[in-house]
Amino acid sequence: MSITERRILLHGIDREDSAAIDTYLADGGYRALEKALKEMQPSEVVAEVAKARIRGRGGAGFEAGRKWGFLPKQNEKPVYLTCNGDESEPGTFKDRHIMERRPHLLLEGCLITCYAIGARTGYIYVRGEFPHAQAALEKAIEEARERGYLGGDILGTGVSIDLFVHTGAGAYVCGEETGMLSSIEGNRGNPRLKPPFPAVEGLFRCPTIVNNVETLSNVPFVIREGAEEFLKLGTEDTPGTRIFCVSGHVERPGAYEFECGVNLKDVIEYAGGVWKGRKLKAVIPGGLSAHVLLPDEIDVACDFGSLARAGTIMGSCGVMVLDETVCMVRALQNALEFFSHESCGQCTPCREGTDWARKVVTRIEAGKGTEADVDKLYEIADNYEGMGGKTICALADAAAWPVKSYVTKFREEFLMHVRQGRCPLGG
Amino acid sequence: MPTLTIDGREITVEPGTTVIRAAEMLGIHIPRYCWHPGLSIAGNCRICQVEVVKPKLRFPCTVSCNLVASDGMEILTDSEAARKARADVMEFLLLNHPLDCPICDQAGECLLQEYSYAVGRDKSRFDEEKVHKSKRVRFSEEIVYDGERCILCTRCVRFMKEVAGEEQLAVVERGDHAEIAVAYGRELTSPYSMNIVDLCPVGALTSADFRFKSRVWFLTNVPSTCTSCARGCSITVGARWEKIQRLTPRENPDVNRWWMCDHGRLNWKYVHAPDRLGKALVKDAGRLAPADTDEAVRRAHQLVNRFVTKRGADGLFGLVSARLTNEEIFLAREYLAGVAGVKNLDVRPRTGEGDDFLITADKNPNSLGASLIGIAPEEGAVGLEGFAEAVKAGRIRGAVFFGEDVDHDPEALAALDSLEFLVVMDYHLTETARKADVVLPGVTWAEKEGTITNVDGWVSRLNRAIRPPGEARPDLSLLGGLLAAARPEEEGLDRPEAVFEALGKAVPAFAGIRYADLYSRSGRVAVKAAAAAD
Repeated sequence: MSITERRILLHGIDREDSAAIDTYLADGGYRALEKALKEMQPSEVVAEVAKARIRGRGGAGFEAGRKWGFLPKQNEKPVYLTCNGDESEPGTFKDRHIMERRPHLLLEGCLITCYAIGARTGYIYVRGEFPHAQAALEKAIEEARERGYLGGDILGTGVSIDLFVHTGAGAYVCGEETGMLSSIEGNRGNPRLKPPFPAVEGLFRCPTIVNNVETLSNVPFVIREGAEEFLKLGTEDTPGTRIFCVSGHVERPGAYEFECGVNLKDVIEYAGGVWKGRKLKAVIPGGLSAHVLLPDEIDVACDFGSLARAGTIMGSCGVMVLDETVCMVRALQNALEFFSHESCGQCTPCREGTDWARKVVTRIEAGKGTEADVDKLYEIADNYEGMGGKTICALADAAAWPVKSYVTKFREEFLMHVRQGRCPLGG
Repeated sequence: MPTLTIDGREITVEPGTTVIRAAEMLGIHIPRYCWHPGLSIAGNCRICQVEVVKPKLRFPCTVSCNLVASDGMEILTDSEAARKARADVMEFLLLNHPLDCPICDQAGECLLQEYSYAVGRDKSRFDEEKVHKSKRVRFSEEIVYDGERCILCTRCVRFMKEVAGEEQLAVVERGDHAEIAVAYGRELTSPYSMNIVDLCPVGALTSADFRFKSRVWFLTNVPSTCTSCARGCSITVGARWEKIQRLTPRENPDVNRWWMCDHGRLNWKYVHAPDRLGKALVKDAGRLAPADTDEAVRRAHQLVNRFVTKRGADGLFGLVSARLTNEEIFLAREYLAGVAGVKNLDVRPRTGEGDDFLITADKNPNSLGASLIGIAPEEGAVGLEGFAEAVKAGRIRGAVFFGEDVDHDPEALAALDSLEFLVVMDYHLTETARKADVVLPGVTWAEKEGTITNVDGWVSRLNRAIRPPGEARPDLSLLGGLLAAARPEEEGLDRPEAVFEALGKAVPAFAGIRYADLYSRSGRVAVKAAAAAD
């Protein structure tokens, strides 16, 4: 079945001037902000967004409106919005498109959200390796300020909101919401123990809402067109569209926006299918941490619920396609090199376990492993997986799911490395 | 107030109480590395996991240090799931640990050893090369860091930030290459820095002073009180071969919580100095010569008695140290004021820098005790300040110094030469003692028993940790000897407990405190004397 893109977030990004404020205004930009500020109470904005059930696009899928509702009712401290643009999950490049090509969409989403949650100040945390996104946002903030959409007394409504760009220094773990808060505060970007959750005690120990770039970029549509219109997109489980970041062994890798519920097989086809006429070996559907899917498992609808039922996650929608030439042991080694290097080192299981797993898989890949090592590899991951209980944040889980799914689904390939004393694919 | 069950036992706790604390109240010890009652919750080591039966969580186990007790909560600390969770953490902790216990100072008091034994597995499954990190890093003159032994619990980092108030340590690098380091551009200079050595649950932070001196299991650990300032921090004296090996703070919620300052911790070398008095000295033909102690005591009393009989007590000056115990000061007053009728009584003040945490500006450990007991010049009498002048004027002609000297004051020191007689009791041969007619060999705080009253009125015990040198005797025994010589008809009074009882009867501030209550290896060891006086 051939599918078509539905560009709401990526509307007009092919235009050279897609980032300019005039382009954005010509397409109806900032009207949602005006509507919210002039016609709606903050609580009405929250209610509308809650009704739209925008599930968190960072990967966890938590509904934005519900999250906003966790802010304490009795509160004398300032409330902050922090927009997570760290986008460091390997295989994910959706937020950067929004930040670089449609920065005003994000700003409008942030401004409406700040108004809704009562925040005077919002921070957009941009991944350190995204200098273009930083520059685009800085420029957009200046433009919006000049036109009166940002800063003091926005559009003469008396509402004042400031947004600031804060850049990371390249740590994966700073994409974890509390790690990001630590980083914005100027501290080492360590995730924090929960509870307290950010909505209660977040940035500078004040109530804070943390939302992903793509999540907040959906807010203007919901306010301008109404939640009903948003709910018409996607599925009951996951309304709206999502930007699919298709990478790896496909003919046309890239960021494509589809309504949620689109079939994963069709997404890969849309990206030109497996390249060079080769056979498909595996698909990682939701960023590097997602459980791998086999070719016969990809006839699945892409929404949070369906992919969870398929034993994986929708995650950040980073779809990585691996063709038949890929050594899955080497792929796992690569993944663990990343995760063990990015572990902040706080929690014992993650700090010690991820690197132990890396060492074991490295040995197997080099043909120096034993069959017992393959089982041990799985057990190590099983012993460090379990956010909430075993670790403070989900990095250990992210490092466990590839191990467990690769070892389970490609067990024979791991054992071949052991038996042949080398990589059977000649890698 | 929530009521929860831990291992089938019910307990009702204050709202906000964490499970690890609630378990402690039930006498259930949950293993911990990063958690310490005096620091913020870090929740990073994960060894304190317990099984949460109710309410159901996403995972069977979670850390008890950050789990707030709720009504109806059901916790299992020793279930199969909880044991596995801890065994897994233990395995992870030891992967890259060098396992160099035979040469590690922490061995014997190491939480890695203890919990490995209690909750770990007996065999390692780790076949890889260990991570290598910094070794023997001098964090400061006093502190040595071993990165490979470190488990990154961050107790030290949190102590510096939260308790010492100086962020001088930080975590650097990431993952299993992370280490603790002196923060960039800073130095570890806090006067409380050595507490991190005690806090370190493993052998990563060691004291340069104590390193390689003794296996800890050979130490005799005696609870006592630091005498380096008027705070009187509760301490443990670790001794071996009749020598102090180290001092460590002892938990006392009323005085020092878990901490002490570096100065107090290291201020014991003088106890073993070569100028210690091991024998009484009596002046013979203008020279001090060794004498029998009992004989010296009798000689001292004879000098005092003759002087008072001949000239009366007005010409006599008594200097009583505020470094002596309450009991010693009490007997000194009994002897000087009670027996001899001396009105010219004083202490020698010692002051220095203090701070708003533990270190007091008053460097005498028992100033409050001395003042409560009444060591101060009476109205119109001669105090230490006017001493030299009074000697010159011929008003003072004899003096008795108990545990004290005037070495700091050249004028007073010179005035001693003009005295008809001088009796000194001290633990070492000071310049002052060299001018005495009789020198009684006393001892230091480490060699005697008694109590001192700190700046806030908490009365804490000294206990004998080592034997005094030679024929030196606890000062209380010497003072008791003087009193016995003066009042041969009365029953002798030189046991600390009996003297403390007598003190309670004579000085209201001390009434109601039972000496026996003060000796304790844990918990509250001090009773507020000031409050009793109110």
